[in-house]
Amino acid sequence: MKRTLLTGAAALAAAALTLTACSGDADGGSNGGDGGGDASAVDTITLAGWSLSTTPEFQVLADAYQEQNPDITVELKEYDATEYDTQMIADLAAGSAPDMYVLKNLKNFFTYQDGDQLLDLSEVASGVSDEVTGMDAYTVDGATYAIPYRQDAWYLYYNKDLFDEAGIEYPDGSWTWDDYAATAEELTTALADSGSDALGTYQHSWQSTLQGFANAQVPDADLLSGEWEYLVPFYERVVALQDAGAQMDFGAVTTNSVTYQAQFGTQEAAMMPMGSWYVATLLAQQESGDADEFNWGFAPAPQVDSSTTDMPVTFADPTGIGINPAVDADTAAAAQDFLAFVASEDAAAALAEIGITPAITSDAVTETYFSIDGIPTDETSQFAFSTHEVLPENPVAAETAALQNILNDAHSAILAGTVSPADGIAEAMDRAQSEVLG
Amino acid sequence: MATTAVDVAAAPTPPPRRNSRRLTLRRTFIGWTFILPNFIGFAVLTLTPVVILFYLAFTSWNAFGQANWIGLENFQRLITDGTFHTALANTAYYAVMHIPLTLAASLGLALLLNHKMRGIAFFRTVAFFPYITSIVAIAVVWNMLFSPDSGPINQFLMALGIDNPPGWTTSATWSMPSIVLVSVWREMGYYMLLFLAGLQAIPRELYEAARVDGAHAIQRFWNVTVPSLRPTTFFVTVILTIQSFKILDLILVMTDGGPGTSTLVLAQYIYRKGFEENDFGYASAVAVVLFFICLALTVVQFLLNKRREV
Repeated sequence: MKRTLLTGAAALAAAALTLTACSGDADGGSNGGDGGGDASAVDTITLAGWSLSTTPEFQVLADAYQEQNPDITVELKEYDATEYDTQMIADLAAGSAPDMYVLKNLKNFFTYQDGDQLLDLSEVASGVSDEVTGMDAYTVDGATYAIPYRQDAWYLYYNKDLFDEAGIEYPDGSWTWDDYAATAEELTTALADSGSDALGTYQHSWQSTLQGFANAQVPDADLLSGEWEYLVPFYERVVALQDAGAQMDFGAVTTNSVTYQAQFGTQEAAMMPMGSWYVATLLAQQESGDADEFNWGFAPAPQVDSSTTDMPVTFADPTGIGINPAVDADTAAAAQDFLAFVASEDAAAALAEIGITPAITSDAVTETYFSIDGIPTDETSQFAFSTHEVLPENPVAAETAALQNILNDAHSAILAGTVSPADGIAEAMDRAQSEVLG
Repeated sequence: MATTAVDVAAAPTPPPRRNSRRLTLRRTFIGWTFILPNFIGFAVLTLTPVVILFYLAFTSWNAFGQANWIGLENFQRLITDGTFHTALANTAYYAVMHIPLTLAASLGLALLLNHKMRGIAFFRTVAFFPYITSIVAIAVVWNMLFSPDSGPINQFLMALGIDNPPGWTTSATWSMPSIVLVSVWREMGYYMLLFLAGLQAIPRELYEAARVDGAHAIQRFWNVTVPSLRPTTFFVTVILTIQSFKILDLILVMTDGGPGTSTLVLAQYIYRKGFEENDFGYASAVAVVLFFICLALTVVQFLLNKRREV
């Protein structure tokens, strides 16, 4: 009996291993990359998206494309927003992924590209307008693997009413981080004097709100080097703001599950550094009543020093679409045609209409964007939208995710006050050396 | 006479033997048909992944393509991995606090609610309620209660005159005890139910005999209740130990392993390495270590229990 059981287990193990080996072989092959497919032979192509009811951008792209190409339907396949990459990796490995998928998080682009899960799109990329930003992030060894349709940027949002109440001048686009911190403290005091309990600023608990800016703005900052002293002043500034009561405590934010939308939308904070996607959210929430009615605007993100205020440096990852290499040649041709459209000015205008920052910000797109009902049209907001240098939040590499996790531990430890900024960063650097880089 | 007897005895013997073999076969077949649907599920959803996990622990694999065989490299990496050591220590810390506390709390509750009185079903339901509540809801609500400035717990402590109450989940020292507190509160109702079943199976006569012998309540508890509950206690301890070493969900929602790495446990480390960093080979190696820890502890518990029984 024992022997039978053992033999059975061994057979099962062998079968399992053979199965994994088989799927390994299948993954290596790609049918669509050869080109020469006939796009007109296909009537439907599928695209992955997430939270389709609250994220209209995929449907907007699909509809705009279909208007120009009535013979082809772009069908959306919905994924879970938070588990998007896990589900996509599983579907790709199982061979059941859609024809095209969005690269939701740039930090995972490496996994897909290195795992041969993206078709080489260099040909499409060469035909795309030079104005499309974010293409470099998807280019490895001269070959492009995804076409960006959206390029966010981080701004400084501010509540004009609260600034007026405090009698303080609006941000004018020339601010450094020290100016920002000083104003946050001034605002808190002035607002308290006038009877308001709003704080000067709100920085959400994400590591991006600090590390993203530092990685983009500090000259020679290199996440992959594991030398992270440049983060220390950024942390010292925020810890000081917390201590002064000008910014909500990290502990209060995490334990009370505070959302940034509620914090700025219900006028609990006069300023907030946040990504450009929040413009559309705030407009929608003011419309629906989830946010208060108040005057607001957005300014360029504060800079490390005044040398970059003419062309403010900010960060945000591009969002691109790639093609599943398992598709046949005809579908690949149709999908490539769709991606060429996605990077066009027509697609950009369609996205701008719903408040999404497209990968092209030409004059026409800017005009469409600022014609949205309720959007702030002041000069500083327009300048922030059209003039900036956007750098990716993180470099694309095998080590990025592991280093980011180490930095996230340091982030929570420092902001919760369990360790000083200098010690927390030093500890993170040691961990990076011994666990990832060493 | 004798030959007839032999003939009578010998002639009918072969048919029953064949029959009994057929009967055994039939019974085995029927047995298998009952087990098979469940066993297929187990084999496909549990056994196969476990076997693959053991294979992956010796490879480097990023979910796509072939896994590369790298021998013991993952395990060598574990030896020098400081974060793995932290996660291991945190997991042990959690288990050491969680197991005895839950045992004591659930046994206490069971003793308390083992009386015949009005409204007992209500109190039992109340005690069991946290166990059936969504873990995310529990985590969110407790996080708010623990909030350092505005949370009711610290407000209460400050009203009592404690000027510097703990930061609970935002303090590296208090984060793990806070989580243990919530998980004991959540699970005690479930284990209480098991203890209640055990308590009700103890024959009344034993207590009566003890009473006749002049044993007071504490003596009756130590000399009748505790020994009679041994099978239940053993079962609860084994399950609690395995559960404690596998803790993930509550920590993920309450602290996400923080602040820093103060509540990072092995299961979350496996999740991080696998699903966040796509290092599935290394994550599998950590999972194998966790598997052997659970296995070793369970074997030790069985041996101890056996010795006590002897």
